[in-house]
Order: sequence, then structure tokens, then C-alpha cells
Amino acid sequence: MSVHPGAWVVWGVGAGLVAMLTTNPFYLLPLVGVSWLVYSACRVPGPSARSFRTFLTFAVVALVLRSGLVLFGTLDAGNLASAVVEGLRLGTLLVVFGTFNSVADPYGVLRLAPRRFYEVGLASALALAFAPRMIAAVTSVRDAQRLRGIHVSRMRMLPALAVPVLENGMEDALVLAESMDARGHGRGRRSRYRPLPWTTASWVVATAAATTLSIFVITALGDNGGLSPSLFPLTWPEAESILVASVCLLAVPALLPKEGSR
Amino acid sequence: MTDAVVFDRVTFGYPASVQAVLDDVSLRLPEGSFVLVTGPTGGGKSTLLRAINGLVPHFSGGRFSGRVLTASRDTRMFKPRDMADAVAFVPQDPGASFVLDQVEDELAYGMENLGTPVAHMRRRIEEVVDLLGIDSLRRRSVRGLSGGERQRVAIAAALAAGPRVLVLDEPTSQLDPQGAEDVLAALARLVHDLGMTVVAAEHRLERIASFADVVVGCLPREVVAGSAAEVFDRIGSGPPVTLVGRALGWSPAPLSVRDARRHAATTTLRRPRGARPPAGPPAVRARSAVAGYDGVDVIPGIDLVLGTGERVALMGRNGSGKTTLLRLLAGLLPPRAGSVGTATGPPRTGVDVALCPQEPESVLFCSTVAEEISSTVARRSDVDPRRFIQEFGLADVADVHPRDLSAGRRLLVAAAAIAATGAPVLLLDEPTRGLDPEAKAALTDFLVGFTERGGSSMFATHDVELAAAAASRVVMLAGGEVIADGAPEDVLGDSAVFAPQMTRVFGAGWLTPSQVIAAASS
Repeated sequence: MSVHPGAWVVWGVGAGLVAMLTTNPFYLLPLVGVSWLVYSACRVPGPSARSFRTFLTFAVVALVLRSGLVLFGTLDAGNLASAVVEGLRLGTLLVVFGTFNSVADPYGVLRLAPRRFYEVGLASALALAFAPRMIAAVTSVRDAQRLRGIHVSRMRMLPALAVPVLENGMEDALVLAESMDARGHGRGRRSRYRPLPWTTASWVVATAAATTLSIFVITALGDNGGLSPSLFPLTWPEAESILVASVCLLAVPALLPKEGSR
Repeated sequence: MTDAVVFDRVTFGYPASVQAVLDDVSLRLPEGSFVLVTGPTGGGKSTLLRAINGLVPHFSGGRFSGRVLTASRDTRMFKPRDMADAVAFVPQDPGASFVLDQVEDELAYGMENLGTPVAHMRRRIEEVVDLLGIDSLRRRSVRGLSGGERQRVAIAAALAAGPRVLVLDEPTSQLDPQGAEDVLAALARLVHDLGMTVVAAEHRLERIASFADVVVGCLPREVVAGSAAEVFDRIGSGPPVTLVGRALGWSPAPLSVRDARRHAATTTLRRPRGARPPAGPPAVRARSAVAGYDGVDVIPGIDLVLGTGERVALMGRNGSGKTTLLRLLAGLLPPRAGSVGTATGPPRTGVDVALCPQEPESVLFCSTVAEEISSTVARRSDVDPRRFIQEFGLADVADVHPRDLSAGRRLLVAAAAIAATGAPVLLLDEPTRGLDPEAKAALTDFLVGFTERGGSSMFATHDVELAAAAASRVVMLAGGEVIADGAPEDVLGDSAVFAPQMTRVFGAGWLTPSQVIAAASS
């Protein structure tokens, strides 16, 4: 059964906010696992699915860089632990975003935007289009420069990769914006050619994500439940089983029956 | 008859540019006409097209004076999106303009924005799918389409919205000759049957000239409009038959092969010159090479030799495996079976074999044209970068940022930067998008000089006139296999679809206007 883009938005926002609400690795690590499960089970084949790997790389880089920064300050256990959990949280967010990108068609999501927010919609379209297309461009530019005898793996030749990728990305984004405008994006009336049905699966995904998020919000407002373990003094983080279980609830999309033939 | 588009004393310059691209332009394009916009690179064709639905100046910014009336709406008052029900626009490379993922959704996108009822949308989509012959693409993702497929889908999507005026920037640049003919014929039918106005910019006049009711010639200083004969004469351009007719003093100069044949009957030509020098030893050779992607063999096993000193035009319909073959020969795609090799071993990419890709933008990263070429040459001391700038006719833009050039000029810059590797084998993948006749001649001259100095070249192209002018041999592919291989006059002359205009008029053996003119005057 197909999941409505709106349900994916609820899932993405839920998972993202959960990552932002906690620095506890016992909640963040399961969230990474859950995202990976959902990605494996629900990705839409195509370039945006391939971009997941790039987001995964970004996540690792974020974790390493954030942890590495501590070397420039006072090096003690508390600082190090704080850098690691901050990096982990950022990395988790990137993984969640990568998953969202590869399971929900960004444009499908965009069309849900109310027409009053035309300008915002257009801007987000460009932003959403920019990252995956740039990632796709890296391969083609690297190939093209190799044909010219320039090996972009060398640091000195990095501009030969980065400049065409960024400039092509910018130009493509402008062409897209121009095309959307010329084709009437943001006019008053609208109709839908193939309205996507809000299926039972969509209910299940949205409800699960909303439940998880509610549990975390209530915990954050109340007694905290180990969402932000103390770093000064450094203590071993504790995890409440109900919160771990609610993170696992976000894996529900992976457990849904596979989409049959249309 | 009312006018679909009126330019009234329009002057426009882009932001941060002193020079006006459109300078006091006035013209009227009657409703229900097929309008061809042509002229040299940098003459303002793209700007003129974009002014029709208000993308210029609403989207571009810049200084705009005068007024443009399209479907009786003043573009100063109406934004492009408010013109969307009346005007549809297909940009030069439609790949980046797709909004949705699936082809069928993409076709519906414009209609959704216009609030078209669903039942009506279904009917329109069936119509445009049939018209452009893209039924097999409906469920595909737009990201995986080939260049030719993208052009068809973009045109179908534009038509689906039911515009009164359809504006297209080089709509057939990536289509094979038959595909281009089909698309243009479909557009002409809409003009005749439904009174739609089509405004198309094109360089390859041989395809489109016979369809055009009105021709607009964009020159750097002025824009002229009128009948095809008047405007071609005025801007000194035209399809090969017109050029020959003008040179031989036929009056009026013919616009179509059919017109030209009547005059040709009264013209006697000395037989075309003798044989070409034989090809040298193999520069690169494929032996039973198999290649493809993701487990699909695009090339099921090919034997092909590119001899030293040869200029091979690689032709064949969209999807016949041209790009895959070039990547295979360049060493970018390893053969799954069989072998590819030069005299010294497997091809070393960028050293033995260089390839100019279909998207020339992928290689441009410097801030001037001269730097772009020097950056390739930098690793070799024996070459003067100025030589390539001269040979590709880029001297006047040597200090310009490559991204500020038109698509055609960018392609020349990329080709020059790639030729500067000094690789003895130069491959080019469709080096004709956006090239005006002058740039095409520069490219042809370079290839001839390059192969005479001992280089070898192979270029994939849909442009039969380029193949006729530049190739010493033509290889025709179908389904990844060679179906014809030989001298251009044999391979092209033998085909109903691929024959250049001179062959159609004067018979087998005649390929280019200059050849015919030389034979007639001597």
C-alpha cells in the first residue's frame, strides 16, 4: 500500500524533532537504525534514493568533525562526551533527512503546500532540488574532467569538481524556477490529475510518528526521562524502555505489506 | 488576421550589462503561423523567446522598455504564471525544467496549475502522448530519460496545457532526423488545424525552413521579420539548398529540396572529385566489445576500428548506443567482454583518448575562456593554448567568463579545452547543440586540421549536414550494432532519412553546398 506524501511529512517531522529533543545515545542510535530500516524497505528507486548514501557520509563527517573540534578547547571527558553526542545528534538528523528524501518524492510533498505560500513553495522546491541534483552532478563532472585528463581526486584540482557542480546546480535551479513560473505554479485555481489516496497505511505511519513525537514532547516538558543526560559531571546515560520502544514505533513503515502491482 | 505576439519598440539589457540585447525591436507575429527564429549565436534569440511570456523581464531582471503583447496581454502587467494559460515555453535543455518525477504527472503539471478538470486532463494527456509518440514513457521517471526523450516529453507537457502560443528553444537539437521530422510535422499540424502559433528558435534550418510561415532573423544590432526568402537573404543564411541557389544565381533562391530540384535539372556539374586518402593504422580498436549499464548490454558485441587520420560521424536514432560506444572507446566504461585498445594498450582516458561530453558545462570551471584552455595545457609544455583559442574561433571571447557565453560557444570552449589534452584520438558526443553555422564551420575546420596533423576523431551526431561536411567516414548504429559503415556519400546517400540536402537535389556523391558550388563554377 502506498503511503501518502503527507504521512511521510508527519514521519519526517516526528523523527527529526525526536532527534532534536534528545542527546541520549540510547535514543539516537535506535533512531539511526530505524531510519536505515525504513530507507531499506520503502525507498523509491532513482537518484534521490542514491542520495541517501551521501547523507550517510555527511552524517559520519558531521560526527567526526564535531568530535574533532573538541581538540581545540579544553580536553576533558565532559567536553569530549558533549562533542560526541552533539555530533551524533546532527548525524542522526542528517540520516533522518536522507531517509525522508529517498522515501518521499520531494515534489510530491511540495504540491501539498497551500497555494497561499507560493513563494515559500518555490523557494523550498529549489532548495530540495539543489542537493540531490548536485549529488548526481558530482559523478558526471568527475567523469567529464577525467576525459580531459584532470583527476579531481587531487586536492589542488578540487575547483575543477566543485565549480561545475555548484554552477550547474545553480543554473538548473534557475531553469526549474523559470519553468515552474512559466507553467503557472502559484496561480489561483488548482486541480489534481491523480490525487494520492490517504490510505490505511498513511494513517498507520502518521499515527505512529505522531505518537512517538507526543511521548517525547510530554517527557521533555515533564521529568525529562534521561533525554539530556548530565555531562558535567559526566554520568552514564540512562534510558527508559518506553522511550526506546516509542523510537522503534517509527519503524512501522518498514513493516507495512509491500506495494503490489498498481 | 489578429496578431498572436506583438513587440512594440522593445529594448532590453540584462542586469550588469551595458549592452542592450534587444534594441528597439518591433515585430508582429500573426496568429496561426509557424514562426522560425534564427540568427547567429549571441543575436538575442533566447531573450526574444523569453520576452514573449514575460520571463524577460520578470524573471531575468534588467532594463526593459517598450511593450510586448501576447494573446492581447501586456507582459508588463501579467507575470509569466498569469500567461501560462496562453503561452507555453520549452527551454533549450528541458532536463532541468521537469518539476515532477513521473512522465505522466509531468504532463499534467501545467494543467493542474490551470485548474483543468480531471476528465479533461485525461483526454488531453492521451492526445499529446499520441502526438509525440511517447506512450512507452508514461510510467518512466523523467530523471532517466535520454536527451531526445526529454525533448519529446517537454513538448508534450507544454502542449497539454493547451496554449495559444507555443515557444520552443531549439526543440529538435537532440532528436534524430526522423524524430525531428515527426515532431515538426506534429507542430505544423497544430498550427494548421487548431490555429496555434508556434515560435521556434533553430540553427539547423534544413529541418525547419519548409515549415516556417514567418522567419525572424536576430542579428546583434537588429531584428528583421518577413518571409523565409527575404530574411535568409537579409541575414546571409539559410538551409544548404538556399545557399547553393543563391551562389548559382537561381531566382528566387529555393527553400526546399523540391524547389531546388527544378533548378538543378538545368545545372550541369562536373563529377565530384576523387577518392579520399586511405585511413592510417588503427588509432583505437574495439574487438567483440560488450558494454552496458546495470546488467543491460547496450552494445552486445562490437568490432570497430578508428583509423589514424579518420573523421568518423557516428549516427543512429535516439537510444542506438552512440554515447555508450564513445564512453567505451574513451576507456571510461570498461568492456564487459572483448577488448578495447590503442596501439599501446587499453585506452588511457584523457591521455590517449579524450571525449567531449554531451553536457559541455560539466567541464567548465575557470573564470575566463583562456584560463579554461590553459588549465588543460598546464601539464604539457609543448603546446601554446592560444593555438586552440584561434582554431576554435574564440579569440574575441578569450577573456569572457565561459558561463556568460551562449550554449553553442560554451560547447566550443569545452571542445577546445578537451582537444588541448593533446590526446591523439578526440571523441565528441553530439557537438552541435546550440551551434550556429559559423561555429559549426569552426568546429569542422578544426577537425579537418586535427586529423590532417595525424589525429583521429569520432563524433556522434544527429546533424546530417555536419556529417556531410566534416566526416570522412560514417558509421550507423542500431541497437548497439553497426548497420552501415563506409564513405559518407555511400552511407548517407543510401538513406531516405539521413541523406543531406545536396544528395537529395543533385543525386548520390554530392554532400555539401561548397562542393556543388565549386563543381558548377569550374
